[in-house]
Order: sequence, then C-alpha cells, then structure tokens
Amino acid sequence: MGVSFIISTVIHLAVFLLLLWWGQLFPPTMAVQETYYVDVVNLPVANPRAGSPTQKGDNAEAPPPPAPESTLSMPSPQRPNAKGRAATTEKDEKSETSSDAAFAERMAKLENKAASQQEEAALEQLRKRLRTTGSGKAGMPAGRGSEAGSDYTSYIQSRLKDALNQTNDYDSNNPMVYVHLYIGTDGKVIRQKIEQSTGDKRFELAVQRAIEMAGDKLVPPPSHKVFEGKFRFRPKEVSRSKP
Amino acid sequence: MGFLIGTGIVVRIVLLILIGFSVLSWTIIMFKFFQIYKANSDSERFMDFFWKSKRFDAIASQVDRFTGSPLTVLFNEGYGELGKFVEGSGKADTSILSTDLGGIENVSRALRRATNSEITRLEKYTTFLATTGSTSPFIGLFGTVWGIMTAFEGIGKTGSASLSVVAPGIAEALIATAIGLVAAIPAVMAYNHFQHKIRVLIKDMDSFSTEFLNIVQRNVAGK
Repeated sequence: MGVSFIISTVIHLAVFLLLLWWGQLFPPTMAVQETYYVDVVNLPVANPRAGSPTQKGDNAEAPPPPAPESTLSMPSPQRPNAKGRAATTEKDEKSETSSDAAFAERMAKLENKAASQQEEAALEQLRKRLRTTGSGKAGMPAGRGSEAGSDYTSYIQSRLKDALNQTNDYDSNNPMVYVHLYIGTDGKVIRQKIEQSTGDKRFELAVQRAIEMAGDKLVPPPSHKVFEGKFRFRPKEVSRSKP
Repeated sequence: MGFLIGTGIVVRIVLLILIGFSVLSWTIIMFKFFQIYKANSDSERFMDFFWKSKRFDAIASQVDRFTGSPLTVLFNEGYGELGKFVEGSGKADTSILSTDLGGIENVSRALRRATNSEITRLEKYTTFLATTGSTSPFIGLFGTVWGIMTAFEGIGKTGSASLSVVAPGIAEALIATAIGLVAAIPAVMAYNHFQHKIRVLIKDMDSFSTEFLNIVQRNVAGK
C-alpha cells in the first residue's frame, strides 16, 4: 500500500508538472479580445469635397484640373469671290492643303500635351496615395497624418479603460489618480509616474495593474516616436488629462 | 494553470480535497490491481497443482508458493479443521477419516468462514473508490458554485459585464468541477472492474469449497 501511495503521488506530481509545462507552451486562449478603433472622422476619402469633415485633416489634393483649352486658331475660310474665283482656285487649293496639314500637326501636338498632363496628374495622385498609406494592419492605430486610427492617445485610453475594468479595486468613495505614461517605440510602457492621487492605495495598485495589463499588448506609437501622455483614472473612467 | 492562482480560499480547499481524493483513489486502484491480479494468477496455478496432487499433506507442504491466492487460505482452513477432526478421532493418518458426518460439517463451516474473511480482505478499500466516484463531482460542483458566486461579486464591483470580465472568473470556478470529474471517473471505472473480478474470485472460492468437501466426503464414504 505504501509503494502504491508513493507511485500515485509521483504520478499526480508528474501530471501537475506536465500541465504547467503545457500551459507555458500553449498559453490559454482566453486573452482579451483586441478592439480596433477606427477614427471615422478622419477617414481618408478618395475625393474630398468642400465641407466634408476631411477638409482639414486630409491633405489629398483636388483632382487635377482638366487640360487647358487651347485657343485653336483655325484659319477662317475665305468668302467665295465670284470674280477672282477662277483665278484663285489653284492658289486656294494649294494654301488649303498647306493649312490643313498645319492644323492637323497643331492638333496632334495639343492632344499629346493634354494626354501627358493627364498622365502626370494621375501619377501624382498615385504617389500621394502611396505616401499616405500606413504600415500598420487595417484598422490598427498605425496610421499617420490623417489616416484611420492615427489617434494613438484614444487607443491607449481605451486599452487602459478595458484593463481597469478588470483590475478595478478601491476603498474610498471617489478615488482619482493622474498618471503620466511613456510608451516606447516598441509599444512597451517604459515609464509610469503617478503625478496626483486622492490617496487610495488600493486604487493606485489597481491602476498600476491595469497599466501593466494593457501595456502587454500595445501597438507601437505612430512614426516610431516615444509616446507621452497624461491620463486621469477614476473607478469606471479613464480620460485624457491636459498636461 | 495560471488561473489557479486567482482562485479564492474555498475553491483552493476544494481543489486540495479533490487532489487528495484522487491520490488516495489511485493508490487504492494500483494496490487492488496488483492484489487481484496476484490472486487470480496464484489461484490458477494453485488449482493446477491441487488437481495434480494425490494427497492433502503434499499440497499443504507446497501451499506457501501461492500466497496471493484466496484458495490457499480456504485449503489451509479446511485442512486444519480436518486435521483437528482426525486428531480428535485418535487417528494419526489423515487419509483415514471417520464416518461421522459432524466432522465434515465442521470443515464446511471452516471453509465458509475462510471464504467470508477472504471476501472482506479482497473488498477492503474498494468502498473508498465508490465514495470518491459518487462524491467528488459534488464536491467539485460546490467549488464551482462558490467560485461563480465570488466571480459575480467581483463583476458587480467592477461594474462591467463584458465577456472578458465574466469569462475568467467562471473558468477559474469550473476547474473545481473538472478536477472532481478527473478524480471520480477512474474511481468509478476501477470500482466496477474490481467488483467484477472479486465476484469471479468468490465463485472460484465457492467452487473450491464444494470440491474440497466432495473429496473429503468421498473419502469418508469410501472408507
């Protein structure tokens, strides 16, 4: 019986260690679902019009103006003259032939010019689109300029709010903590500083845990710059705070 | 396994109890498995040897080779009672038996007594398996109910009812039911298996008792 007990204990320990190892190898898939925030107001549009919300944020230029209408100076046809009609028939025929050729040549030049202008405008538009396309995934806050999801502060704020919902704990009635956050170029929280607090230690601890939790899965700030922001934490609210 | 860390004290106690149940039930499973396996194999070997031997005293001298078999206990008891009876009759030779049937009744009673004691020995600890099989799921369920209660308390405090808030607490609570089932399922399976094996051994013992009494009675009738 003693031997069986030892064997049984060893088996249970082995199973426990196996589960620990398995848990490390394959972490549980109960991770908090990623929430993507799309900045609807600053969404880039293909053809911005006057009065649209993108007027300020979108730098997209208006479509190129149509090719300038060149004033085609067509040779005015001479009025038929009954008297000199016969005498000038040959001359007219010659000059008509030469003016038709010149006209065709000028038309061809103008058409070529207009086509090259349109081509240049289309190329410029494509270049512009390439410049404004971000490197991040669709819907992720990796955009630049007026691109979707460029508001990184809102993204951080929402992540912190989600995390605080899970870690929320406090003693006093209306605790409040102001935290200055620095997020590195790799998306990790490199520094956090409590600048102001109502003194509720449990809430401060909950805020720190929320920052740790949220800091695990942040995307890097746009333009690969260190993000710096001040946030106000309350039990059910995280808001931006003006520096 | 990380979610075990976040469980409350009650759920932890429940988990400890269930792990204890599981350890003990596996101890019993292994112990009974070897005990019953040895009883079966030794019984088969003993029956071969028994039918090949001509005399009880020759069997009695070799019976130590089959210690795991319950039939050897029956034989020892029956042979001992037979010896007492022969000695009481004033005859040294065990092959010569009295025609007094009261002696055979004594042997029969001794065999019945030995059978009962062997059944008790074989069934020892199996009740714990039955207890584990029937109570572990309920203990686990208790842990789960308690865990869900505390999880809902926490949800009420945070004021958020999103899936990311609700799910981890319920998952932590459900681990108690899972471990309860892990402890109960092998216990129930082993209990049923051992009960079947023990029933077979009881029938073997009954058959052997009958055969032993037949041999004794045949000798008595033959004299």
